[in-house]
Amino acid sequence: MKKIIVVSVVLAGLLLTLPETGSAIPAFARKYGFNCNMCHTAFTRLNDFGQRFRQHGYQIPGQEGHEKNVFATPFPLAVRTSMGLVVGGNDSTTTSSFNINGLDVLAAGVLHKNISFLMIYTPRLDEPAGDYTGAADGANPGQLGALEAANVVFSNLIPEKLNIRVGRFEPAYHPLSSKRTYYLASPYEIYAYGSDGNRFGFDDNQLGIEATGDFRAGFHYAAGVVNGNGANPDNNKYKDLYLAMHQVFGRGEGQSAGQRVGVFGYYGWQPTVFDSLTGPMGENEGGGNKPFYRLGGEVSLNWRTLNLRALLMQGVDDQALNPIDTADDYEFTGGIIELDWAGLYNNRLIASAMVNWVNPPCGDDDKQVLAYSAVLRYNLGDWTAVNVALHAEYLHREVGQDNPFKDDIVALMLDFAL
Amino acid sequence: MIAPPDNPQTSAKILLGKKLYFDTRLSADNSVSCATCHDPALGWSDAGPTSKGIKSQLGGRRAPPVSNAAYAPLQFWDGRAPSLEEQAKGPIVNPIEMGNTHQVMINTLSGIKGYEDEFKTVFGSSPITLDQVAQAIAAYERTVVTTDSPFDRYVRGDQTALTCVEKKGLEIFNGKGHCTACHWGGYFSDGRFHNLGVAPAPGANPDEGRYAVTKNPADMGAFKTPTVRDAAKRAPFMHNGTEKDLMAVIRLYDRGGGPDGSNLDPLMVPLGLSQKEMTALEAFMKRATVSLNPGVADEKPVPASEFPE
Repeated sequence: MKKIIVVSVVLAGLLLTLPETGSAIPAFARKYGFNCNMCHTAFTRLNDFGQRFRQHGYQIPGQEGHEKNVFATPFPLAVRTSMGLVVGGNDSTTTSSFNINGLDVLAAGVLHKNISFLMIYTPRLDEPAGDYTGAADGANPGQLGALEAANVVFSNLIPEKLNIRVGRFEPAYHPLSSKRTYYLASPYEIYAYGSDGNRFGFDDNQLGIEATGDFRAGFHYAAGVVNGNGANPDNNKYKDLYLAMHQVFGRGEGQSAGQRVGVFGYYGWQPTVFDSLTGPMGENEGGGNKPFYRLGGEVSLNWRTLNLRALLMQGVDDQALNPIDTADDYEFTGGIIELDWAGLYNNRLIASAMVNWVNPPCGDDDKQVLAYSAVLRYNLGDWTAVNVALHAEYLHREVGQDNPFKDDIVALMLDFAL
Repeated sequence: MIAPPDNPQTSAKILLGKKLYFDTRLSADNSVSCATCHDPALGWSDAGPTSKGIKSQLGGRRAPPVSNAAYAPLQFWDGRAPSLEEQAKGPIVNPIEMGNTHQVMINTLSGIKGYEDEFKTVFGSSPITLDQVAQAIAAYERTVVTTDSPFDRYVRGDQTALTCVEKKGLEIFNGKGHCTACHWGGYFSDGRFHNLGVAPAPGANPDEGRYAVTKNPADMGAFKTPTVRDAAKRAPFMHNGTEKDLMAVIRLYDRGGGPDGSNLDPLMVPLGLSQKEMTALEAFMKRATVSLNPGVADEKPVPASEFPE
């Protein structure tokens, strides 16, 4: 059976007439008959080919218009979840549990030449819940039902140089995608950081519109206008703006080949008063809207299957959003350094180490974060359009400056998508 | 293999086409036949690095393989011919290939009674026309197709058809090697045109490739994806024969293409293949794609005694 699937490789072309490929979305691999490594260094990280496929609106670069659309193929549906044993402990307690880490339902494909779509639905899961209290507990679901992504991409409005994405999407300003990280238990700490008065999440998918483009000389840009309020209607009347640019030296996209250097910035608004006018869809005009911004730079260096990525970021929230010192802006810095290596045939084995840190402003030292993580992932088999990874992860995290709270997590998981 | 409606396959036409394919009298000086550059013993190509025509003139490109060319939507490295029939007419009048004119070639064949009779039998009319010559050759070429190889047997369920390392090579071929992005389907080719950054041969001028046909700047230096079937018999590789063997080709892809990055295809990215992965890939291409069909693998030239007189 495995052989037949693997071999559909080439034979899929016989049946489909034209191929298409896939991102962390096995439905693409099924469509083309490719195996996952066509687009991924290893599930879940995009390689350069996969990055270009995504940039071209889920079309094989250069093949736009020749691809079968979603109406001519089985509907491109995929699911992803992970499950396994998670052991956590700190100075005083230790817990262990077999857990399921939610469920993603993904669909994506080409609607028409240079018009494609992506949808990610996370169904509501009433159990397991972190504070689950019984069968009737509907208030604390293990996963909220959400349309995590729903967007349409208009590609090649100016060939390669202008693509427009509309809807809810993962903004292209953060070069280290938390959606496609190898880590299951270790977040990119700086992304979730901010003053208590700022609800913005740096790696939240956002509602809005985004323009992206690539130039053959290796220059890439992304610019967008978004609500800045995740899946929700905007909580203020101003729109948030962002711009990211990077240059790749050498061949590749800086994902798995080529050397990439980039900068990014996000400028947004958050309300400080919450009794302002509400619109028909739940949007709010906000009150006392105050600005905040994030600025940063990143590098991604590649040598063979070794990838070193680093991101430095500064965040500044207006003083009105700073509950600990309303006379001063809330300024913090932080970063991520991640080293990944792919080995064995077809990159079946992934080893990764990561350091996260966040330095809060004076007066908020208790929120200082320092975290070390390591991952080993082994992808079983070579199954076209199926990913099953054995995942072992360790996280050591310290929060606070003096006498920090320390906790450790060991996760032994099975991560799969199909 | 589906033939075009205006050129249905018949046994007599295929046999006539085979004789024409191997007959040097189609060339101006009776020295070059189709098989000279598309030699069955050399994977239906030639020794290269580029092809040699009449008076030992060298062309700028290698002869693309005739085997399985019937699957290609367009013919020649630059796709300038829309069918096998149109392709067959080209080399006859190319001054550095057969160096003939169509009329002289027709006159030559018309002067050979055996051919005159065979054409009349096959096409039911006379005199011999250029289209009839092309149709007969194309009909023969449509029989030179692979349906049996270790890869095909493996696909059909024979687990022993591929060795362990060849299976690993197939896995790389379809994954990390990105080969199937272009070399897909039963023909192992998308039939489209890609610029791999291949440099001109020493002393040669840059080749415009597909651009010469379309005048589309995106096609500059792009050439048709060749089939991988029987690739191992066709070294050296690339349109100009600048890569001496399969491992050299694999290394070129592993680097993300050749040295000319001026119009590199967006599919070309460095691959990060290990030596073991490259070796497996080479093993897959070397043996797993070898044609086992006698008409492809062991086709013999028409004996001199069997040519029409």
